[in-house]
Parts: sequence; C-alpha cells; structure tokens
Amino acid sequence: MKELSVAEFGRRLAHLLVSLFILLCVTFVIGRVLPTDPVGAIVGELADPSAYAAMRARLGLDLPIYQQFFLYLNGLAHGDFGTAVLTGNPVSSDLAQAFPATFELATLAVIISTFVGVPLGLVAALFRDSFIDKTARVVALVGHSIPVFWFGIVGLVIFYAGLNWVGGPGRIDVFYEGLVTPQTGLLLVDSLLQGETEIFWNALGHIILPAVILAYAAMAYITRMTRSFTLEQLSQDYVIAARAKGVSPLGTIWHHVLPNIAVQLITILAISYGGLLEGAVVTEIVFSWPGIGQYMTNALMIGDMNAIVAGTIIVGFIFMLLNFLADVAYAVFDPRMREAAR
Amino acid sequence: MKHFSKGLFVGAVIGALTIAAPLSQAATPQDQLVVGTSLAQVLSLDPQQATEGKAVEIMSNLYDRLVASTADGKILPQLAESWKVDDKGITFTLRKANFASGNPVTSKDVVYSLARLLKMDQAAAANLKRVGYDKDNVEKLVKAVDDQTVRIDLSDQVTAELLLYRLTTTTTSVVDSVEVESHAVDNDYGNAWMRTHSAGSGPFTLNRWSPNELVILDANKDYMAGAPKMRRVIVRHVPESQVERLMLERGDIDIASALTASDLATFQDKKGFAIQRIPTGGFYVLSMNAGNKYLANPKVREAIAYGIDYKGIEKTIMGPYGRARNVPVPENFEYAIPNPDWHLDVEKSKQLLSEAGFKDGFSLSLKTIAQTPRIDLATAIQASLAQIGIKVDIQQGNGSEIIAAHRARDFDLLIPQTSAYMPNVLGSMEQFSSNPDNSKEANNAGNFVWRSAWDIPELTALTAKASMEPDAKKRGEIYVQMQKMFVEQKPAVLPLFERFEPIVLSSKVEGYVGHPSQLTRLENVTKVETQ
Repeated sequence: MKELSVAEFGRRLAHLLVSLFILLCVTFVIGRVLPTDPVGAIVGELADPSAYAAMRARLGLDLPIYQQFFLYLNGLAHGDFGTAVLTGNPVSSDLAQAFPATFELATLAVIISTFVGVPLGLVAALFRDSFIDKTARVVALVGHSIPVFWFGIVGLVIFYAGLNWVGGPGRIDVFYEGLVTPQTGLLLVDSLLQGETEIFWNALGHIILPAVILAYAAMAYITRMTRSFTLEQLSQDYVIAARAKGVSPLGTIWHHVLPNIAVQLITILAISYGGLLEGAVVTEIVFSWPGIGQYMTNALMIGDMNAIVAGTIIVGFIFMLLNFLADVAYAVFDPRMREAAR
Repeated sequence: MKHFSKGLFVGAVIGALTIAAPLSQAATPQDQLVVGTSLAQVLSLDPQQATEGKAVEIMSNLYDRLVASTADGKILPQLAESWKVDDKGITFTLRKANFASGNPVTSKDVVYSLARLLKMDQAAAANLKRVGYDKDNVEKLVKAVDDQTVRIDLSDQVTAELLLYRLTTTTTSVVDSVEVESHAVDNDYGNAWMRTHSAGSGPFTLNRWSPNELVILDANKDYMAGAPKMRRVIVRHVPESQVERLMLERGDIDIASALTASDLATFQDKKGFAIQRIPTGGFYVLSMNAGNKYLANPKVREAIAYGIDYKGIEKTIMGPYGRARNVPVPENFEYAIPNPDWHLDVEKSKQLLSEAGFKDGFSLSLKTIAQTPRIDLATAIQASLAQIGIKVDIQQGNGSEIIAAHRARDFDLLIPQTSAYMPNVLGSMEQFSSNPDNSKEANNAGNFVWRSAWDIPELTALTAKASMEPDAKKRGEIYVQMQKMFVEQKPAVLPLFERFEPIVLSSKVEGYVGHPSQLTRLENVTKVETQ
C-alpha cells in the first residue's frame, strides 16, 4: 500500500510541476507578445529615443524572446523573479509584501465561508424543500450570480458610510499607519504579537467587510455542494436504516453523513480557497486592499511583465498546490481508497 | 444566514434612502492631511526622472527649486534669494538653507542637480533639452561661482524669462548631492535609491512610499520658512471613485482627486465640501496620423474638425473636466486668439470630404486609453463622425499600449492629453507647434507632433523664434501669429477641450491652492474644527 501511494504521490507531484512549467511558458510568451511598453512607463512619455533604448537594453528587452526566456529561467533557478518596473524592487520582495495582505483576507474569508456554508448546506439538505432549504438556495444563487464588485460598493455604502459599523477601505485607519512593524506580514497577527490591541481591533474592523463579501461568493458554492453531497448520503440505505433505528437528525449528520462527505468537502474547500486567493482581485480594488490582486492589476496596466509572470506563477502554484493537497487528502482519508488498498 | 441575507437587502434599500444625510464626524486627526487619489501612475519619486502629475504633486513638497511659480504665473524666489539677469545669463544668489539631512544647500548641489537631470536624460530632461541644454553642454552653461552663487548661461534657444519658468518645474529640483552620491550604484546617479527616498530641502520628507498603497510625508521641522502646519501628509491610493467619494463623505480623507464626473457632481453645493476646478493649461487632443492617406489631406482634417459636436460633448461628457477649445492655448491666457469657427456642421463637413475626393467616406481606427472621460469622448466622436460618413472603430487599451502605439506612429486617430509647463502661450502650445524633423528616421518619438507625422517647418521655426524673443510685446505678436498659423494648417493634432483637474475638499481644509502645473505646496495648509 505504501509503495503504491508513494508512486501515486510522485506522479501527482510531477503533474503539478509540468503544469506549472506550462503555465510559466504561456504567461511569459503572452507577456512579451502583448503590445505593452514598460520602458516608456519608466523613462517617461517624452523621453529621448536614446534614453529609451538604453533603458530597454538595461531591462534585457532588446534580446530575442528565447534568450529572454532562458535568462528568466536561469534567474528563476536562483530564486530571482527579476525586478519590478513599478517599484524598482525585486519582484520576490514585492510579492512577499503583497501576498500576506491577500493571504490574510482569503484565509479569513475561507474560514467564514466554511463555518457558515457547511452547516447551512447540511441543514438545507436535512430539511429539503422546507423554508430553510429554499432560503439557502436563494442565498446561494444570489451569492453566485451578483458581482463581488457590486456587493463591495453596497457593503461600503451601508456598513461603512451609513451605519459606521466597519472601517473603510485599506487595511487600517491612516493614523495607525507605520506603527506596527511587519513580522509575519499579517496585520492581525503582528498587532497581537506586538501587544497593539487597539490596532488589532482597528484592523479587524477593516478586514471584516471585504472578508465577508469575498466569503459570500465562496459560501454560495460551498453551501450548494454540501447540500448535494448530503442529499446523496441521505438517500443511502445505511442512513435510512440509521434513521429508522431512531437516530436523531443531528446524530445522523454527525456520525454518518459528515464522515462520508468529509473528503469531498476538503476538495471543495481547497478549490474555494484557491479561488479566493485568485478572486480577491476585484475585492482588493474596491477596498483599496494592498494585496497581490491589486499589485498585479497595476503591473498589468503598465506592462510590468516580471511582476505579472511572477504573480501568475505564485497564484497558479498555490491553486495547483491546494488541488494537489486535496488529492492527497482524498487518497489518505477516503475509506473506499483505504479499502481498495487493503 | 437568512438573517444576514435579509439584512443585506433590506439594509441596501434603507441605506440607499437614508445615506443622503451627511455624516459630520472628524475621522482624520487635526494635524494630518489625508488625500485620496489614484497612485497607479506613480512609478518613481526621483525628481530628475518622474514626470507624472501625481508624482509631481508629491515631489514639489519634498524638494525646493531655485524659483517657484504661483498659480497665476508669477515667479517667486525659493532657494534663490535673488537673481540678476544680463544678456548672457542669470546669476542666482542662494539663501541659507539646509537639506533634511542637515547638509547645507550650496551652489554645488544646484549644479549637480541640473547635470544629473540632463545626464540621466529621461523624459524629465525634455523641458530643458527643448531649449538647447543637454548632457554635453550643461557643465559649460551651469556653474558654481562660489558656495552661494550659481550662474546659468543662456543657451542660444531661450530667453532669461522663459528659462526662469522652466526652472520652476520639479525636474529642476535641487537634490542633496552628498546624500544622493552616497547611494549611487553603477553610475545611476543614485536613481535606484532616489525613486523611493527623498533628499531635498522641501517642507516635507518622504517617510514611506508603498506603490499603489500610500505615500507618507513627514513635516520637515527645520524647513527654512518654518515647520509646516501639518505633522504628516498621507496620500492614499483609492482607485475606485465611488469608494473615494464615500471616504470623503465619512471624513476618512480630507481631499479627493481622480473622482469621476458623476461622483464629483454629488458634491456640488453640498454643505461641508468645496470643489476646486484646477486649470492645467493642457488639452484633450484628437491626434490624426498624417501618414494615413486620408488624414494627410488638410481638407479631410478640416472635415473632421467640423464633424465633432464640441458643445454637446462639453455638456454631457466633459463636465468639470474640460472646456471646448480648438486652439492649444487657454482663452484666458494673454495673447490667446479666439476660437476658430469649428463646430458641428454636417453639411459643410460632407462637402469638404467630397472636395477632398472621398464622397463616400472611409474607415478609421481610434485608439484611446480606457479611462474616464476619454472612453466616453471616443464614443461621442465615433457617433459624430458617423454622420459625415467616416466609420470609426474604437480600440481601447491601457496606458502603455496606447502610448507605445502613439510613439510608433501606429494609429489613425488617437486621444492623448497634454499639460502646460508655464501659464503662457508657449508653455501650453509648444508641444503642438514644434517638429524639427518629421522624417521617420528621426525617430523623434518624444515629440508630440512627430508622432502624428505632421510636417510643419514654418510653425516650428516660428516657435523657436518666440522662444528667443526677449521683448515681451514682440513675443506677444509672434504668439498671435503662431496660433493663427496653427489654425490655418488644419492641425493633425487637434485640441478638443482645455483640460481641468477637479478636486473636492472637505471644508475643514484651509489654505489649499491647487497649482496649474500640479506644483501644489502644502506647507501652509491647515485644518479647522468642523463648524
């Protein structure tokens, strides 16, 4: 059994790496072929052609594309993603700064969507076609079909500008800026570590709305999937038998349904998490959130290709990694897989 | 969950209805000024490199120049206490001042800064290069006489008065040569370091710049004219106009720029807020590629000039952003000529097209940056030109795509924008009236007219003549002549609307005077308790 899973593990890992390489190639080529002009962005619209050419050479953009690609791969092998046009910093250090902001937002969002979406899906399935079920379906449908952008603005209008319940755009109120030294980059964690509880509450007030809004779309998906997984289990003979024996609905869920849908749920949650990291783009723009989505949007605007390629690879990598982990979890936890191996 | 969703929707309705009531709460601290804007175009805070408007606004507070200009165009002393003009040049006497580092400001720093500008030779250098200063002659023309005296000789292409105007721009900011040189690597004049740090003598110093997040400026307590009133200035990146509006209403920011016309309109006559419509002296322009077989014909260009509904667009689209004007000089400038009689006249336009031999019309592409208000402007032009038989296909892109196409002469029609570097005819018109070499080989992509392949030797010569005319009255006559000639030639770079930068201020803010070249200084800005 062990050998089998190691081989399987290796195969999936190889698959991950190949996918990543293909993603890299495609992004790189698209990046270089696009008619954007990072050189003009740096030296300015009215620059002299000689200054323009000098900067182009300095960025290595005068080389044939295959050479640029090999140079890029070479840099990558040494952990160098190149320099960002936008900031003049190594892209890796920019990403190290932007990523925690997105990570913090997406993680909170996935926690919220799990803790709301899963129970809601279970209850909806259990009381199929009841009022609760119908409401859950409407909520899920709305979450799935209305753009995050709109929710963001409406959320701000109501809870920030109107009711004054939450903080505004940005990670923190401006006058707190610069008071917490980044350690993990996660403001909620850093402020607690440094004993700045006031800043912690302020940061929490700022993150809660974007996190809830981001969570809502993911939650819609999680609710729908949980509901359908649960319904499938509820129609199984063993559940019917259990209920006939007088096990309470809650007991049925807890002892029979949940363990059986756990693996499927892990997959769904992993996919949602990846989607949240990736889909934070729009939320970040609405909420002026200085994360990877906003970083990449701006990079795209000026044709900052090193930043775009690196950002795409990081997001792609995380997405694939989460899928990979979900697959592994499947293999490890699924009773049927264990049975088969035995 | 049900509660949440219901709450959201009921809340949305109630919220939308009750939100009209303004909230009067002072969220920003009294001693900090918070500005909301888009920082997306800010790529550098090195004064000898950056030219983008927002960057200029920030840098003008980090650095001083020899001289400054007021919003209405007067020249004032800044680092120079006084200056003497003679036939050959200008001699400046510096006042006693220190950089934020504590180093004294000397004439050496002035020479270093101007040499740095011309030797780095990026877009920022264009303003001095256009009148004959370059990396080869700068050391000959700009000299330190002693520690407190700087001599700048005139090139043979500029008068003293017009040189003074060029010395008010942020590109000529005086940087701390000792500090900057200590950060130089690979002969980059400290550029890599200077992009994200400051080394100036201005009223503020750069505390932090996180691209696309925020810029924090700290007051320079030792500033030569006394410490600024504000302890900090925070410029926050808020790319979404509606969100920026909410932040201003809530009091989380004190000043909002980069608002869309509709968000701006909500502050019209609203208590607690004031709108400033800052003129830029620049224009929204329709560039036509004279290399195109249709657009090479002046009759076709004239037909297009008669094929656009300027007044209608001004009313429905430009609003606070622009005012209809087809001469590249704002009409309130001295020596500005009245507008030519170009207005939407479909019959006349069609007749011109048929005289040009294109009775059945033709197709053109129109490239534009996907940005307010240019997108709507493009659509309006498309609709308008369709009436005279010119089919326009709009191609949107981001800034770098569209500018790259413009530089490469790869377009039929394109909508760029300009700004003036000084409040007079030359300052706003120069970009439209000078193209020394129109050949493709000249590759003069930094020249606005060259990009349209519009060959104007006489106008170019006249522009150079104006720049060299020391007598103000005679210069004024040339200014008038230049504008008339521009109109007669049926411009391939057709100004459409004079450009304004509207901003909204909370009435807590006092002493903020928007500068037409975005050289707005903040040292005298104060905040008062809300009434």
